[in-house]
Amino acid sequence: MTIRRKVLAISSPGGHWIQLTRICAGLEASHDLVYAMPDKLFKAQKNKVYSVPDVSADDKWKLLPCAVKVAYILLRERPQVILSTGAAPGVVAVFLGKLLGIRTIWVDSIANVRKISRSGEMVQKRADIFLTQWEHLAQSNEVRYQGSVL
Amino acid sequence: MIFVAVGTQFAFDRLVRCVDEWAAINQVTVQAQIAEGEYIPKHAQWERFMTTAVFNQHLEAASLIVSHAGMGNIITALEKRKPIIVMNRQSVLGEHRNDHQSDGLEWMSQLPGVFTARSCEELRSLLKQASTLTASDAATSNERRARLISFLDQAIRS
Repeated sequence: MTIRRKVLAISSPGGHWIQLTRICAGLEASHDLVYAMPDKLFKAQKNKVYSVPDVSADDKWKLLPCAVKVAYILLRERPQVILSTGAAPGVVAVFLGKLLGIRTIWVDSIANVRKISRSGEMVQKRADIFLTQWEHLAQSNEVRYQGSVL
Repeated sequence: MIFVAVGTQFAFDRLVRCVDEWAAINQVTVQAQIAEGEYIPKHAQWERFMTTAVFNQHLEAASLIVSHAGMGNIITALEKRKPIIVMNRQSVLGEHRNDHQSDGLEWMSQLPGVFTARSCEELRSLLKQASTLTASDAATSNERRARLISFLDQAIRS
């Protein structure tokens, strides 16, 4: 029971980040967490937070600088697990994580109540564990429900 | 004091104007975070963006939060035990890329201490009865969060 893992927790700012930090608050005692988020507008109140370029549907070209930065973080920190609540920075991290053989866990945002988020759909088949926070959206083993932040 | 917060991604002039005009008539103190909005409050104190520390300060001082239907503000208000009214952005009015905030209202309204409005009229009728809007007194969601964290802890170890 004393296995500590190094975890990279990564998300967009705003609601995704708030959900991520609430989850991670419960994991920090048992694992070593490193964080990454776009922090242009808002400085995270944590010690080790890497800044990554933000990407949204309006500026997809930023995927490239975002991917470069996430790759740098993964190679430097060598986490054993990637944990994300979305959106685009999480997709980038899951893709790169699979490439590097890192376990990936996706917790789809609680804001997506009718269907899985767009970013979630992109990683649904790639993430090692894919969770929804809505019981009615769970489907067998590919999309599972195991509780929620609220 | 009412604290209005529209998030950092987009403006939400419809919400800011709705509360500002109502508060001017009813002489209620309002502090507003308005992002890149074009509507400048005439009555409310306002800032476009604020640091987390300043944001939390206003939140603590407020008796009621009025917010866009954003996850961040909902969680923060629930944790600080403040009643919160949320109004959804509408993509047809150019307020967001899609209508996930409208979907969100369906489940947000299930949470104790969260009140939802789909229009300025609905928002104002809630504001009129502001004194009856109370925060959740029990952390009903603690169990769901504990389950999620415990599952993730095991998943990370395995």
